[in-house]
Amino acid sequence: MSEAAEKVESASDARRRILNIAVSTVLLETGFDSADKVALETLTEILQCFFTEVGNAAKGYCELSGRVEPVLGDVIMSFVNMGISIQGLEQYAARPNRHVIQPPQQAPAPRTPAMLSAGSKAKPAPHIPFHLPPLPDPHAYIRTPTHKQPVTEYEAIREKAASQKRDIEKALTKFLAKTSETHNLFNTDDNQVYPLIACKPTFPAYLTCLLPTDQVFDFDELEYHFQVANRTEDMPPDKKDNSDNEGDNGNDDTANSQTDTQDSQAPPSPKT
Amino acid sequence: MPMSRMNSPAVGMDDDGVAGHALSDFLLHLENYNPSIPDSVVAHYLNMSGFESQDPRLIRLIAIAAQKFLSDIANDALQHCKMRTSSQINQNSKNPKGSKEKKYVMTMEDLVPALQEYGITARKPHYFV
Repeated sequence: MSEAAEKVESASDARRRILNIAVSTVLLETGFDSADKVALETLTEILQCFFTEVGNAAKGYCELSGRVEPVLGDVIMSFVNMGISIQGLEQYAARPNRHVIQPPQQAPAPRTPAMLSAGSKAKPAPHIPFHLPPLPDPHAYIRTPTHKQPVTEYEAIREKAASQKRDIEKALTKFLAKTSETHNLFNTDDNQVYPLIACKPTFPAYLTCLLPTDQVFDFDELEYHFQVANRTEDMPPDKKDNSDNEGDNGNDDTANSQTDTQDSQAPPSPKT
Repeated sequence: MPMSRMNSPAVGMDDDGVAGHALSDFLLHLENYNPSIPDSVVAHYLNMSGFESQDPRLIRLIAIAAQKFLSDIANDALQHCKMRTSSQINQNSKNPKGSKEKKYVMTMEDLVPALQEYGITARKPHYFV
């Protein structure tokens, strides 16, 4: 909005400047060499008020007589009203040393860039009057779907679900075989040929079967249970390195028996 | 048409009848004289007050009337200015250089009394705070 106000002001500034130039021309013709800025502004203001007053009065007289377009008589009456004599006007117009100011250049109106329109605008239907503005770009009101309709046949969906499940399982097992611990079928050290995902036994092994739950309510419990599941004290020593326990490798047997009893009383939670 | 409208009411309209007659001729002659103020500017200010005319001669008439008004004021101000400078020159009469060029500067001191004779009272502050 401030931009619009600035544009309006600059337009009126341009006209005001032209009035300034006109006043300066008149002063030059009269014989002055220079003028005070204040005096110049006063005379410009007087000139603008003159035009406004003449326009107002002439319009009033014109409408008074029931017309819409002003005529010479209206203008003369407004001059008489303001006390401006018309007698010496012709001599004044014919004076020898008169300057004419160039009319101002008209700035071209900025056109909206055509690159913003996409597609050709549709022709208006015959029931729309011609004086209404043209239709907007077709993408503004016509909807084209961007994707195919999904398949809804039972067989196709069933097949898709089965193949997805198979792919997911394959990908996950490959991932786990590469990243987590692996068992080796053969008695070699490197295990690139046929890795098996290592099975981590829980202690006691029958516990999960006796206590079924289908939701995990407490993740602290789950973590505790996981720690319990990874205890290495009872495992044979060659498997100790494979387990991912960090702090329990240094415990001796007495501590083990104590922790055994504690663990059996610990709140059980299944390994999911 | 404007002549007949002006002539029909009886009392005291003779001068206007003559003037109307002369001015319709003037309007015809007016096409030769271009006023100093461009037509588009004058038309804009007239449009702002509601006066819209398709006849450019009418606009030129108003422009020339405005110009004459201004030049009358300027002439009066010049008289004031000359009176002031001539009184000053008489005070500094010992001037061996001869007649120097007189530069007339239009100031508020000359303008205000000139406007006073036209009934326009202009009071401007000397400075802005």
